[in-house]
Amino acid sequence: MRGTVQPAPGRSFPGADHKAPAVNLRGGWALIKSTWAMWIQHRGFFFLLAFGWMIPPLIYMFVWSTAAGGDTVSGITRGEFVAYYLVLILVNQLTYSQANWTVGDVIRSGDMNTWLLRPLPPIYNTLSTEVAGKVVYMAFVIPVTAVLALVLRPELHVTPRDGLVFLPTLVMAWALRFFWGYWLALLAFWATRADALLALQDALVFLLAGQVAPTALLPDPMRSAATILPFRYMVGFPVEVLSGQLSSAELWVGFAFQAAWLAVAVALFVFVWRTGVRRYSAVGG
Amino acid sequence: MAYLRLIRRFAVASTQNELAYRANFWISLLHSALNLGTGVLGVAVLFGQVEMVRGWDFPAALALLGVYLILGALRELFIGPSLESLAGMDGEIWTGTFDFTLLHPVDVQFLASFRYWRPLALIDLALGLGVLGTATVQLGHTLTLERVAAFLIALGAAVTILYAILLAFSALVLWSPGFLFTWVFNGLFQMARYPVALYPGWLRLVLTWVVPVGMMTTVPAQALAGELTLPMLMGSVGLAAALFAGASSLFRLGLRRYASASS
Repeated sequence: MRGTVQPAPGRSFPGADHKAPAVNLRGGWALIKSTWAMWIQHRGFFFLLAFGWMIPPLIYMFVWSTAAGGDTVSGITRGEFVAYYLVLILVNQLTYSQANWTVGDVIRSGDMNTWLLRPLPPIYNTLSTEVAGKVVYMAFVIPVTAVLALVLRPELHVTPRDGLVFLPTLVMAWALRFFWGYWLALLAFWATRADALLALQDALVFLLAGQVAPTALLPDPMRSAATILPFRYMVGFPVEVLSGQLSSAELWVGFAFQAAWLAVAVALFVFVWRTGVRRYSAVGG
Repeated sequence: MAYLRLIRRFAVASTQNELAYRANFWISLLHSALNLGTGVLGVAVLFGQVEMVRGWDFPAALALLGVYLILGALRELFIGPSLESLAGMDGEIWTGTFDFTLLHPVDVQFLASFRYWRPLALIDLALGLGVLGTATVQLGHTLTLERVAAFLIALGAAVTILYAILLAFSALVLWSPGFLFTWVFNGLFQMARYPVALYPGWLRLVLTWVVPVGMMTTVPAQALAGELTLPMLMGSVGLAAALFAGASSLFRLGLRRYASASS
């Protein structure tokens, strides 16, 4: 513990620096480009991570399509299960927030110092890994899902309404997972072992966000929990929209829940960041 | 017997190391509970919708999950931590500290496989046994001495197969340092939590013969249910022996390629 880094007030909160938005954007873009270049260099490693994340949805895709066989489970056919899980693999990868693991490490190791000393809001660092990550992971996941789609013959009938609603729900799912993960990661300002909470979060995402089964197939107490808690709106909800599992009413209720949880996540993030960064005393020399 | 004494030393040293971080116990407990919860609920959700899939009902699939949890726990107890420190991220082969391991006056493969222990994995072992026990009661099997013996032999073979595959994947790092082969295996190993019968035909072949993770859980579960034939049991023991020999020679072959990591 040496010294305390106190960021200038204008910099302590991303977006609060209104004086030089042009510099912020240019600097931010430069950071995004350099991070991206670095990630592309290590793509083998990231492909491996993406492979690991694909496995659980793949397992459930196979298991459910076997269970459906030539018939249906709760009105869902084999081909529809395949389509649901292939879309889920893509959405899961697109919304996955690695920041919720890395930001905590940055705080614990003291590397946060560098972030705070730069004339850029620290959220640019996180956003740059987000962009780099999405590009590199997609370079692996899209070809693999394409091949799987050719082999496994999914049945996906997208109505114009569902296609149109899918995009905003996907963007909101990403934002919700990003800010939710971020505020949890920022708890590292207070407790060094806060990442234990992330394991709990991952388990809940696995159970309630449509991975283990589409929300409609969950047994009752789990289904209610999935509807009320934020996790379904991070992954499963856009997938259900695109695969046409939702009635109009369910769609609007889901949309309202998603928007509300997003507002809560952003508010929590702003609050935790503001109070946390004041407590932060750098580690290391 | 010198080896057994060494193993005891390693286990004691690791335990003392682990006890120094008391908060780890609670976090480990949380992880074990989550692992158990997601596993059991994953099976329960499936069988909440369907009675039976390809001859597997809920208790039978639960018994298989129990075997999977037991195997995972045994892996975490010593195979995982030891081999991960060798070939994992920033492992010894990666950083070059493997030099010091090679200088020890013991068999390298022995040292690399038994060095580090994670006593907290015993929690997972207990939970896995609990799941298997519950499932056995639900299945209404009478546990004859014969079945238990067959189960233990099959489980021993499964652990050996698991160890051999992990050793082989770790040895591959000697050819391609920096590629985390064990992570590829982690993905495939997860598939063993469901009966191989639930996967499509081509994948079933891969999981039975190419990377036999399916064999690891299905055979012991069948042994406990009394559905295992003697040739199948012998087959899995034979496979374990063959894989162990193969992986050991691959490891030795890889060792000759090791040229430290200095610049």
